[in-house]
Amino acid sequence: MSVSILGSRESGQNIRDTNVRAVQAVANIVKSSLGPNGLDKMLVDEIGDVVISNDGATILRSLEVQHPAAKVLVELSRLQDQEVGDGTTSVVIVAAELLKRANDLVKYKIHPTTIIAGFRLAMKESIQYIKDYLSVKTESLGKDAILNVAKTSLNSKLIGAESDHFASMIVNCVEAVGVMGASKEMKYPIKSIKVLKCIGQSAKESVHLNGFALMTGRTAQGMPTSIKNARIACLDFNLNKFKLQMGAQVLVNDAKNLEKIRLRELEITKERIEKVLKAGANVIFATKAIDDFALKYFVEAGAIAVRRVDKKDIRKIAKQCGAEVLITLMNNEGEEVFNESSLGSAEEVSEERLGDNDFIFIKGMKHSSSQTLILRGANEFMLDEIERSVHDAICVVKRVLESKSVVVGGGAVETALSIYLDSFARTLGSKEQLAISEFAESLLVIPKTLAINAAQDACDLLAKLKMYHSASQNSSDEKKQEYKYVGLDLANGKVRNNLKAGVLEPTISKIKSLKFATEAAISILRIDDLIELAPKPEKERDGH
Amino acid sequence: MLLDPMGGIVMTNDGNAILREIDVKHPAAKSMIELSRTQDDEVGDGTTSVIILAGELMTVSEPFFTMKIHPIIIVSSYFKAMDHALKVAEKIAREISVENHEEIADVIHSCIGTKFSSRWGSLIVDLAVQAVKAVFINKNGKKEVDIKRYAKVEKIPGGNLEDSRVLNGVMFNKDVTHPKMRRFIQNPRIMLLDCPLEYKKAESMTNVEMTKEEDFAEILRQEEEEVCKLCQAIMKFNPDIVITEKGVSDIAQHFLLKQNISVIRRIRKTDNNRIARVSGATIVNRPEELQESDIGTKCKRFEIKLVGDEYYTFMEECEEPKACSILLRGGTKDVLNEIERNLQDAMSVARNIILDPKLVPGGGAVEMHVATELTKIANTIEGIEQWPFLAAATAFEVIPRTLAQNCGCNVIRIVTELRSKHAEDSKDAPYWGIDGNEGKLADMRVIKIWEPLVVKKQTFKTAIESAAMLLRIDNVVSGISKKEKKQGPAGNIEDAEI
Repeated sequence: MSVSILGSRESGQNIRDTNVRAVQAVANIVKSSLGPNGLDKMLVDEIGDVVISNDGATILRSLEVQHPAAKVLVELSRLQDQEVGDGTTSVVIVAAELLKRANDLVKYKIHPTTIIAGFRLAMKESIQYIKDYLSVKTESLGKDAILNVAKTSLNSKLIGAESDHFASMIVNCVEAVGVMGASKEMKYPIKSIKVLKCIGQSAKESVHLNGFALMTGRTAQGMPTSIKNARIACLDFNLNKFKLQMGAQVLVNDAKNLEKIRLRELEITKERIEKVLKAGANVIFATKAIDDFALKYFVEAGAIAVRRVDKKDIRKIAKQCGAEVLITLMNNEGEEVFNESSLGSAEEVSEERLGDNDFIFIKGMKHSSSQTLILRGANEFMLDEIERSVHDAICVVKRVLESKSVVVGGGAVETALSIYLDSFARTLGSKEQLAISEFAESLLVIPKTLAINAAQDACDLLAKLKMYHSASQNSSDEKKQEYKYVGLDLANGKVRNNLKAGVLEPTISKIKSLKFATEAAISILRIDDLIELAPKPEKERDGH
Repeated sequence: MLLDPMGGIVMTNDGNAILREIDVKHPAAKSMIELSRTQDDEVGDGTTSVIILAGELMTVSEPFFTMKIHPIIIVSSYFKAMDHALKVAEKIAREISVENHEEIADVIHSCIGTKFSSRWGSLIVDLAVQAVKAVFINKNGKKEVDIKRYAKVEKIPGGNLEDSRVLNGVMFNKDVTHPKMRRFIQNPRIMLLDCPLEYKKAESMTNVEMTKEEDFAEILRQEEEEVCKLCQAIMKFNPDIVITEKGVSDIAQHFLLKQNISVIRRIRKTDNNRIARVSGATIVNRPEELQESDIGTKCKRFEIKLVGDEYYTFMEECEEPKACSILLRGGTKDVLNEIERNLQDAMSVARNIILDPKLVPGGGAVEMHVATELTKIANTIEGIEQWPFLAAATAFEVIPRTLAQNCGCNVIRIVTELRSKHAEDSKDAPYWGIDGNEGKLADMRVIKIWEPLVVKKQTFKTAIESAAMLLRIDNVVSGISKKEKKQGPAGNIEDAEI
């Protein structure tokens, strides 16, 4: 007896097939953007806006995916983007491949739970194996290693041709923001890196600035363009004419008082400004408006005032130059004072013109950890894509600097894992054996896709890769051990030692992407029933 | 830029201006339009060349797709070509002195030689050079030329184009508020305000409760007194002219007229900034806080003239003005608009030269030279990348080719001739280009066609980078509903609804 439901219901093999198909469709979209020879996607939305991207997460986010299983994948790449920042494409591809193979197994009447158990085991084993054998400490590789990590991440992107330039810029940038955390460990808050985009020139003219930059001009043209030894005040209230709160009314009996009120309004703001200037401030950042009449005082004092600064920016500025963001000048006694201690300092604050925009640069701040990257490029789409690429690379460099360990890229890790898991599977006598060997096989999708994207002979290269890796794992020979670093050289269609060639990725990125991919595959695999409820029929209207 | 030697008669031949008007749907085409905007923002010239060059780079890459060369390889060799092209361009560039008026004029002349205004010869050129020199500031090594803010173009229909000139000061379309005020003042003392000279209401909500009739009169008197106080504060400094951004009430006019002060009201903030710059005055908000230093005296002549059927204020004969107005006269509004565009181009060119005084030969010479040099370099490149590199080299020839086409001569013959000239191993080789007017080859040094290096460099960079970006696309995912779908350039459009 079946329960009757309103709506459609799919179950068993049917739903599994549909899920796999949907997931495969998503993976196919991003597949061709993987690796140094991957290409970009152009995404056009309903309005006709264009996004050009190579980043898996960005591509998938822009798609309006409807199928629930496919949505899981989109979420997956988003998660990877948040957690690691890079490897968003590969995680989707691996997950899709895992599902496909799992589905085949189910067709051979192996119960999904067995497969899931097998996958879990395989995942644990592989993570252990990466940690124990495949990861390399960055100390043993020197500074070049970090540079190489950045380059590897950038290589697949639009700015791949200028990866040298960008990699060194990014590494310098991330290293400069490093601070000693509470637990005696270096932390690299990437939030203190500000990326500004400015149309014009070419990507190569992008520059790295030690300091902070704002994309606004000074408020009045009469102000100086540059101030050395700046004393910075950060205000979070407006410098308009003083206005009573809404609803408050003043009832005036004598006409003379009316005039006094008006004057007082001007005076209040003037006094405030004078207090700020008196304390020695010569650069003022305000989050709100500054009235035109107030500008004159700043101009006369030879100070730079900048209005309508973003709140986030002003907090950053305040933190780094040692200033205090004041929401009011009121002190505990109810008097308005401005203490000198609320001022921050910087070596120089200046306004410069780039392209068609004005920028305010703050250089040499007291607790300077802030860095700015100014990106240049031919047009808007390009700048957006460069920004995404740079963001990925920054994340990767940060991961490596924090975890201090890298793995070899170019499909080396995946192949090594695959070989290892294959032999591991043979030591098990249960049904999980099959699942694990399928897991092993699925991992090979990464080197395969890499080779296909580079228009190389995937079978041939894969065979060679496998040969080297199995040699390294089955032999105790010192020289053959080195073979575990063998990966693909896509430009020449050969295999090589990628540790020496400098193709490196952060270990944590690989581990996380394996975890996420497996988890996602498992959660889709567990589904054996899809019930889609029909929307409730609208109540019939009273027809009389 | 040098694309229409006959002169764009109908509308305009500024690439950016044309493309801005076109409404394109295709995403790739859209990004091309962005290009010309970038070029306009960055250097203000060469907007047409950049589109042509980017288009050609895409065209020459097409055969490689059928040859199954991977786009990545094409892209990376394009970037290599860009590096070399920039080096080559830099090598043949020559530096000029910023002080040399004639040389700068030559360059601008060759840049706007194609435009409508070329009929009036050096007029526009002179205007541009003068204007840019006026706003040029060299402050401890930092050069600043802010055309957008400080060089204002005022168009007045009527009169002859020859009447156009750069003022040694500024002008604006305003008259004094009261007909009896003085319209001509020598050595005026100028006061700039940005507050109204009338009774202002307070910001806070204030209500006045009146019980007696006298109170009402009292309030009115109060208001009057207030204005009177403002005027007295102003009169203390004995200015000849008061200019404010806001309104001036009748009472205030009355007081000021009695003191023989001319008042101009409701001028724009930007105009006020310019006046501040030419006269040395500071814009003041509260008349009570005026200081002697706020009064501007650097402007020697104030005059209001009737031009056409409107009154214009002229402030001229300033000591070292750091801002200027350019007065354009011409037959109709359309003509003036086109001339203004040309003038803007010319001013950007002048700015570029002053900021970076390096020149390359024009008339397609530099492109041809880059093409020849790149072809030579191509032979030293190993592997598959050589082909796209060579293609990029030939793509540069599109500029002289288009030039030749547009002047109506035998394209194949003249381009071949040019190529052979450049292939010669002589010192003059890089300077041969096409004379757009005659349709013949000429030595660019002789006919004095030069272009700023910055413009050329920016053109190469923008064109190659954008072509590279488009080449990397292998898939277009479109959210546009199925009916409107079109075939993409490099791949197929996939369905977004999965």
